[in-house]
Amino acid sequence: MDFAQAIIEATSDVFNTMVMLEAAPGMQATEKTTAFNDAISGILGFSGDIKGMLRINCPNQVAMAITGSLLGMEVEEIDDDVRDAIGEIANMIAGGLKIYFTRHNHIIELSIPTAIGGQSYTVHSLANAEWVAVPFTLAAGVMVVELQFVGLK
Amino acid sequence: MGKKVLIIDDSSTMRKIVTRSLRQAGLDFDTILEAGDGQEALQLLAKESVDIILSDINMPNMDGIEFLRQKSANAAIKSIPVVMITTEAGADILAEAKSLGAKGSIKKPFTPEQVSEVLGGLM
Repeated sequence: MDFAQAIIEATSDVFNTMVMLEAAPGMQATEKTTAFNDAISGILGFSGDIKGMLRINCPNQVAMAITGSLLGMEVEEIDDDVRDAIGEIANMIAGGLKIYFTRHNHIIELSIPTAIGGQSYTVHSLANAEWVAVPFTLAAGVMVVELQFVGLK
Repeated sequence: MGKKVLIIDDSSTMRKIVTRSLRQAGLDFDTILEAGDGQEALQLLAKESVDIILSDINMPNMDGIEFLRQKSANAAIKSIPVVMITTEAGADILAEAKSLGAKGSIKKPFTPEQVSEVLGGLM
């Protein structure tokens, strides 16, 4: 299973269909980032044959650009709309990954997405989990889509 | 009398996107009502009549499947057509939605054209 490619396809589908912003995928990340400044992370857990989480990490400028394009309006500050939009982007990318897992005979259930953010925050990783992260370059900056999971046999 | 649509989704962003897509698709509803989950939708439907419902599946409090179940048991609202708009593309969950009366489904992410195609046949 090529998880980086699955992330690229699911993310590109969301950006090409609904966000309407170019998001160019880069090389798979090799180092985890757990501390963020002036950023928002959309997070969604999943359970079933494979357990894990999907997280998208966006600098504030990227989050505002995505929200503005998604809603067709100017966004100049981080508000509930931006937090909700980033959670929903995570939800749709996770939906694409669910299809990928199903094609490989792994059934998962998605949780409700959440978003965290702020001037300075840290995130935690699942213990002993597989980790795959792909950066996407937008005009406003770089967004990283991370997949962590355990239980794949 | 003008057409009314009810959009059920816990994401306010998604409710706005669906509203925008309806307009871009040329589906001009006179009134667009919104609910954040199935429970809120049932409360709203006790007071308001609508022509069609667009509902998410994964929602807190009451999800789209339970909403369909309760709607189908309520004679006053059971005939209102429902289209699911969801990231849940699994055949089993969509089959369950269909067995509970859903008339179609639109997978997120979606285009206004896809919304038009599914709703066009129901209007």
